Amino acid sequence: MTSAPVATRDLSIPSPGDITRPALAGEKETMVLNMGPHHPSTHGVLRLVVELDGETVVNVAPDVGFLHTGIEKSMESKTYQKSLVMTDRTDYLAPLSNNLCYVLAVEKLLNCEIPPRATAARVLLVELQRISSHLVWLGTHALDLAAMSVFLYGFREREQILDIFELVSGARMMTSYFRVGGLAYDLPAEFPATVQAFLDIIDGRIDEYEDLLTHNPLWLERTKGIGILDAEAAVAFGVTGPGLRAAGISWDLRKDMPYCDYDSYDFAVPIAQNGDTYDRYLVRMAEMRQSARICRQALQRLHDLGPGPYVTTDRKIAPPPKSEITHSMESLIHHFKLWTEGFKPPRGDAFVAIESPRGELATYIVSDGSPKPYRVHMRTPSFVNLQALPYMARGYLVADLVALTASMDPVLGEVDR
Amino acid sequence: MTWLDIVILIVKCIVLTLAATTMFAYFTLFERRLLARLQNRVGPNRAGAIPLPGGQRILGGWLQPAADAVKLFFKEDVVPVMADKWVYIMAPGFAVIPALIIWVAIPLGYWPDGAGGNLLQLAEIDVAILYLLAVTSVGVYGIAIAGWASNNKYSMLGGIRATAQVISYELALGLAVLGVVMQAQSFRTDTIVDAQTTLWYIVPQFLGFVIFLVASTAEVVRAPFDLVEAEQELVGGYNTEYGSMKFALFFMSEYIKLIAMNAIAVTLFLGGWKVPGLQTLADAVTASFGANIGNAVFGLTSLGAFLLKVTVLSFVSVWVRATLPRVRYDQLMDLGWKVLLPLALINVALTAIVNVILPDNIWISGIVLFVLGLATLIGATILSRPKYTSSQVTMVKNNARS
Amino acid sequence: MLGEIFKGLRTTLRYLFRQPVTVEYPEIKRPVRERFRGRHELKRFGNGMERCIGCSLCAAACPSDAILVVPAENNLQQPNSPGERYAARYEINMLRCIFCGYCEDACPTNAIVLEHQYELAFYDRKSSIYTKEMLLVPAEQGHGDIPPVLQQLDRRPSPPAQIDL
Repeated sequence: MTSAPVATRDLSIPSPGDITRPALAGEKETMVLNMGPHHPSTHGVLRLVVELDGETVVNVAPDVGFLHTGIEKSMESKTYQKSLVMTDRTDYLAPLSNNLCYVLAVEKLLNCEIPPRATAARVLLVELQRISSHLVWLGTHALDLAAMSVFLYGFREREQILDIFELVSGARMMTSYFRVGGLAYDLPAEFPATVQAFLDIIDGRIDEYEDLLTHNPLWLERTKGIGILDAEAAVAFGVTGPGLRAAGISWDLRKDMPYCDYDSYDFAVPIAQNGDTYDRYLVRMAEMRQSARICRQALQRLHDLGPGPYVTTDRKIAPPPKSEITHSMESLIHHFKLWTEGFKPPRGDAFVAIESPRGELATYIVSDGSPKPYRVHMRTPSFVNLQALPYMARGYLVADLVALTASMDPVLGEVDR
Repeated sequence: MTWLDIVILIVKCIVLTLAATTMFAYFTLFERRLLARLQNRVGPNRAGAIPLPGGQRILGGWLQPAADAVKLFFKEDVVPVMADKWVYIMAPGFAVIPALIIWVAIPLGYWPDGAGGNLLQLAEIDVAILYLLAVTSVGVYGIAIAGWASNNKYSMLGGIRATAQVISYELALGLAVLGVVMQAQSFRTDTIVDAQTTLWYIVPQFLGFVIFLVASTAEVVRAPFDLVEAEQELVGGYNTEYGSMKFALFFMSEYIKLIAMNAIAVTLFLGGWKVPGLQTLADAVTASFGANIGNAVFGLTSLGAFLLKVTVLSFVSVWVRATLPRVRYDQLMDLGWKVLLPLALINVALTAIVNVILPDNIWISGIVLFVLGLATLIGATILSRPKYTSSQVTMVKNNARS
Repeated sequence: MLGEIFKGLRTTLRYLFRQPVTVEYPEIKRPVRERFRGRHELKRFGNGMERCIGCSLCAAACPSDAILVVPAENNLQQPNSPGERYAARYEINMLRCIFCGYCEDACPTNAIVLEHQYELAFYDRKSSIYTKEMLLVPAEQGHGDIPPVLQQLDRRPSPPAQIDL
C-alpha cells in the first residue's frame, strides 16, 4: 500500500456520472463513496464522489453548485454601490480582498484616482485579511488531521484581526469598508496602536504553530509527498496562489502585475519545489510572515503620510462628507443622486486581478453606461483550483484526500457564487 | 460457597459496574475541561453550577455528564431499514461488556477483609494477565459487527479499520506485558503489585512501559490512533448510524477501556496501589484505633493512591490527544508491526538476559535494564526516521522594485 | 524525532497555566467598538423633534430593500420633525437587513443610526418587522442642533408631497 500516484499525466476531470455508472464487463469493480455536501470536513458544501479500490482513490469527481446563490446575476439589478455588499459574501473568509478587487475594477472603469492614504490603508487591511484567512486555513487543515489545538490558537489571533476590522468599519467580517474612490470612513484614532499591538505578537504566535506542526513527525508523515501537484499540471489547470507557488513557479500578482502600489513595499514571495501538501503548508506559513512585514511597512507609511483625504474628491463618484450637505446645495444634490441613482460609468469593460489568499481573484465588469452593471463576472481562484483535485488525489488514500483538499483551501462561497 | 457469599459477590459486581460507569462519566468531564484548558478555553462549566452571592459560580459543570446522559436517553432510537437488525442491536452490548469485566482482575487497593482476601479486588485469578489480554481481544467484536451491521460504507470502512488495528496492537501489548510477568514471575496481578514494593517496574521495564502506553492507546482507538472514528474522514466510523443509548454504550465502552488500560498500566508498571509510607501509616492507625479502622485507612489510602496514578496517566492521554495529529492507516500498521513488535521482543530478550546475569540486587538490575531500554528506544527512533525529500521555502523577489 | 513531539507537548502544556481567553457570556459581554453596526435607532434633535424627515434615502440605499418609508406632511402646529415632511410609517425588516450601514451613511440628517445592540432574537416572523415606535428613541435622548437649512420658519407651505413609492 504505497502512496505513489497511479496515473502520471491524466489531466481529466471526471463528472459524477462518470464515476457512478455501472462497471462494464472486464472492468475491476470499485466502490463508490459519496463524501456528500454534508460532511464534517469538505470545507463547505462540496460533494466529492470518490471511487475507491479498497482504501485507494481511483478517481474523484467534485460536484459543486450547492452554494450557488446567483450573486453575479443579482449584481446586474443593483447599482454599483449596492453590489459591493454582495462581493463580501463570495469568499467569506477574505471579504476585504473581494471588496478590493471589485472596487479596483469599478475605479478602472471610472478612471478614478485614489488618495495615497486610502491606498496604504487598503494594503494594510488586505494583508491583515490574508493573515486571517490563512489562520482559518491552518486551523481547519490541522483540525482535519486531528491536531485540534492549532485551530483554537489560530482563531484567537483571528479574533484580534476581526476586532481591528470592527474598529474601522463596524463589522467583523462583512465589512464593505472599501468604497469606490477610497474608504468608507477615515481610520479612527486608536487604529495604529491596535494594529501595532497585533503585529507585535503575530510572529511569536506563528512560531508557536510551527512548533506544533512543522517538524512534528506525525504531521510530516501525513503531509509529505501527499497530493503532489507538479508545475506543469498546475499551469495546465490554471491553478494560482500557494498551490502554484508550492510547485516551484514564482507567480504572485502583487509582484508581477502590481496594484495598489505593492511594488513599493519590501516583501518576498515564498516558493517551494515539491508541490505536495507539506510544501503548500510551508508556503502559507511563510506568506503569513511576509504579510505581517507588509503590514508594518503600510502602518509606517500611514504614519508618514499623516492625516489626509481618505476618499476621492470627485463628487460624481464618492458622496461628500455629511457636514457639507447642510450648507452646500451641490453637495446635497451629489449626495442625493449618488445614494439613489448612483454614478454612471462610461460604456466599456474592465478586468482587474488581485492576489487573494487563495490565488488570482479577478473581476470583469461590463458597463453599458447605466448606474447598474450590465455584467459582473468574478474569476474566483477556488473554482479553478478545484479542477486540480482529481489529478492530485488519484492513487492516494481516503485519509490523504481529506488532507489535500484542505491544503487547496477551497471556499465554497467562492466556488459557487 | 453459601448463598450469602453469592449475594455478596453480586453486590460487589454491581458496585464495581456502577463505579466503572461513574468513573467514565467523570472522566469525560475531566477530559473536556482539560482539553479545553490546553486549548486556551474553558470547558463545560455551567451544568450543575451553584451560584454564590457576588456573581461567582462554584462546581460548574459537575452535572454535565448527567445532562449528556439524559440528552442521549431522550433521543430517537433508530434502526436503519436495511441494517442487520439483531446484530445491530446487540453490537453495543458486545462492546461494553468486555470493557466492564476487565475491572474484576485489577486490584484497586488493598483493604484486608480479615479472611486473607482483598475487598478491593473482585477476583483473584491465577492467570489474571492472560484474562486481561483475552478480554481486550474480545472487545473488538463489538466494533467489527457494528461496522458491518449498519449497512453503511462509512461504518464498514470504520469497522474494518478498527479490527485490523486492534488485532495488530494486541501482539505488542502482550509482549510488553510479558517483560513484567518475567520480572515478577507470576501472572497474578496482586503478586505483581507486591513485587513492586522496593522498585516500581517502570524503572527496569521502561521500554515495556513506553510500548505499553503506545499499544494501549492504539488498542483503545484513542488519539493519535483514532482513525476508526475519524470524524473528518469517516463521519463517525463504526458508530455513524448509532444514536441515543446505543451510541452512549459505544462511547462508554471506549472510555472505560481507556481507563482500564491506564489502570492496568498502573498495576503493572507504577506499583499499583502502593505508595511509600502506607504501611507505617496503617500500623500507626491500627495501634490507636483497632484493626477495622486500620484496615479501612489502608484500603482507602491505597485506593486514593491508585486513582491518583490513573489520573496522571489519563492526563497524559488527554494531553497527547490535544497535541498530536492523527496517523494514517497504513502508517499505523507499519508502526505496530515494524516498530513496536520488534521493540517488544528486544525488551523480552533484554529482561531475560539481565535477570539471568544479575539476579541478586533488584536495584542494579533495574537500573541496568532502564539504561538498556532507553538506549534501545533512542536507537529505534533514530533508525526508523523516514527519509523525506527535503522541503524548503525559498524567498524570491525580496525587495521592492521602486 | 521524539524531541519534536515533546516540543509540541510542551507548547500545549504551557496553555494549561495561562488564563483562558473565553469571555463568559452572558454574564460578561465583550464590549463592541464604537462603529459597531447593530440594531437601528431613529434619533431626535436636542429639542425633542424627530430627525427623520421622511426623505427615503435610506430605503433607496438599502441593498436588500429592508426599509419601508411612508412620508407625510408635517402638521405645522405640531410638527414631528423640522421642515415639511416626516416619516408617518417607518419600518425595517430585520430579517432582510444585512447590517451594512448604508442607510446610516445615506441619511442626510443622521436620523437612522446603527447602535450597539446585537441580541435581536425573536420567535416569529411578524416580530422581525421593527416599527417606528420600536426604533424611535425617547424624547429626552435627543442630541444636536437643527441645521439652518431645516429651520425655515417663515416660508409659505409648499404644495402637498406627491410621492408614489
